Amino acid sequence: MEAILFKAALLGYLVATLGYTASLMVKRVVIARATVWLLLAAFAIHGLSLALRCLSRGLPPAVHPYETLSFFAWAMTGTYLAFQLKTKTQVLGAFVSPLAFLLMVVASSRLGVDVPVPDILKGTLVPVHVALSVTGEALLAIACGAGILYLAQDSQIRRRKMTPMSRYLPSLDDLDRVNHISLLTGFALLTAGLLVGSVWASTVWGRPWPWDPKLLWTLAAWFFYAVLIHQRLAIGWKGRKIALLSIAAFAVLLFAFVGVSSFFKTVHRFQ
Amino acid sequence: MNIVLIGMNHKTAPLEVREKLAFSCGDDVDPLKEIMRGPQIMEALYLSTCNRVEVLASTLEMSGALESLKSFILAQGNLGRGEMEKCLYVHCGGDAVRHLFRVASSLDSMVMGEPQILGQVKEAYRQCVEGNTSGVIMNKLLHHAFRTAKRVRTETAIAQNAVSVSFAAVELAKKILGHLQGRSILLIGAGEMSELAARHLIQHGAERIIVANRTYARAVRLAEEFHGVPVEFEQLAETLKEVDIVISSTGAAGYIVSKEMIQAALHRRKNRLLFLIDIAVPRDIDPAAGEVDNAYLYNIDNLQEVVDENIRGRLREAERAEQIIEEEVVKFTDWLNTLEVVPTIVSLRDKAEGIMKGELEKTLSGMRHLGDEERKNIEILASSIVNKILHDPITGLKEESQNGSAIPFVAVLRRLFRLDPE
Repeated sequence: MEAILFKAALLGYLVATLGYTASLMVKRVVIARATVWLLLAAFAIHGLSLALRCLSRGLPPAVHPYETLSFFAWAMTGTYLAFQLKTKTQVLGAFVSPLAFLLMVVASSRLGVDVPVPDILKGTLVPVHVALSVTGEALLAIACGAGILYLAQDSQIRRRKMTPMSRYLPSLDDLDRVNHISLLTGFALLTAGLLVGSVWASTVWGRPWPWDPKLLWTLAAWFFYAVLIHQRLAIGWKGRKIALLSIAAFAVLLFAFVGVSSFFKTVHRFQ
Repeated sequence: MNIVLIGMNHKTAPLEVREKLAFSCGDDVDPLKEIMRGPQIMEALYLSTCNRVEVLASTLEMSGALESLKSFILAQGNLGRGEMEKCLYVHCGGDAVRHLFRVASSLDSMVMGEPQILGQVKEAYRQCVEGNTSGVIMNKLLHHAFRTAKRVRTETAIAQNAVSVSFAAVELAKKILGHLQGRSILLIGAGEMSELAARHLIQHGAERIIVANRTYARAVRLAEEFHGVPVEFEQLAETLKEVDIVISSTGAAGYIVSKEMIQAALHRRKNRLLFLIDIAVPRDIDPAAGEVDNAYLYNIDNLQEVVDENIRGRLREAERAEQIIEEEVVKFTDWLNTLEVVPTIVSLRDKAEGIMKGELEKTLSGMRHLGDEERKNIEILASSIVNKILHDPITGLKEESQNGSAIPFVAVLRRLFRLDPE
């Protein structure tokens, strides 16, 4: 049942991706607005599938790397949908849904394979650490997406022509607000996730923050975000600069999240 | 039955001619009553707006009707025949239908896609219904026109995107600031266009208006008009940090807002987005100010370019609209043709005979013991019942047709007998 729901959600993300692509091609927001409902359906089904997995295994679906990807997709979609209540940023879905779809495709390669959980990962701290960090990263992904759209819209308006593209993209103010909210909450969640992780690390490794490539990259990304948020809140940076920086910071974070383990040896690898 | 349309619009007649015509039809004369005096006119609709005067009528006798419509216009216009005829256009049948559909869909308007004309056509139709000058054809035609206008509106982008400088400013403000609710505007100098832009922004939610002028008294006067606040001209730099939109249109020779002023203001307002509209010629705001992050500067040429592009966009959409109208004209004329008496009699007969044959077959197949003679008799009986029943309505229809009043009967008959596919 859980696998069927997973596949249904995967299909939902695919159809939503097609919907957003179509809306981008013909530059009609109406199509994107309709697709939001499709994405909501995919999100609900996906949530159900995650809940079933959680019930059947007695563990939150946030321990295995592949589960984590699926959880990432779910958290990011949920955040995006929540933004739809307050802002007119339907077009952001054109960034969110293909990403969710890709994550789900990767996650689906281990669908139904029940990999045993290493003893070291058993306990309550690990899922809390993963859930917090992944949700934080999902929010920062949204901030990055909003940043990309912001740069696109900014350059359209600066060209002093109202192109169909500019009419199609959300307003600068809305995009900046989405960026702002997701930066703050994403950073807070990520920080909490890292703290929980380091508490766990000190119990199993004896050190709260071993010098390890993955942890260093993550720390670098965290500092990047810390500076960014400082500039935003204290110095009052806004708009283009912040959009650029939140894209760059997310690139570092993304590398720490998925890239590091393919290039370096890391203790943060459990299979 | 035929449809004729006669009229003049902004393309064919100068304003003096149009206003003479529209004026005389104002208070003392009821144009519909006058038009209906023509003996050939069966139904009539009179449409008068600032850009057009048109009469639409249905008639059985085309040339007589045209003559009577023309003389109505000549009498009301109070102008020489030659002068008048130069301004007039006449459309008959499908062309008249097409013209009405184009007018209602705002394809014939001065500003293509403007929304008022549909309301004006609706109002003209309301008067026509109240004056009892509409019948089967006019009702169907006008409802079809409204439906066509709606299709054009929803299926093409003809009514989208601003085609005036002040609306273009509103559109841009929304793309930058999102919503305009509670946003504040700084009006520097005065001028028709800048005041119009401010008014449009207020209509879309902007609330606080601050007015600056070299002459403080004028600032006070204009501020009163907008329920705003006047400020001294020297406080300009100070004020820039509070507002979201700046509209500048002074007669100053040099720049009155410099890049440094914008930079300083943005710094103090923590980079909240600032939309600068420079309507003045020569320009008021240093173009370099548009390079500052989080400030967006549009001058009058930039806005005009946006408008021009939007107009070109509407023209492109108009081609699609013409296709929709063509489809609808065909649909309507198809319906109109069914109102002819002969095809209606044929389809009525076909329907009755079809029913008769079906029923005969059913009955006779259960009565195999009957001989040929008896079968023949039953068939004759059935067909003569059908003929007798149809005889009176068909003769009646022919008689009405000779009197020229068959249309309503045909329409009712087609509906009651369901002769048109739904």
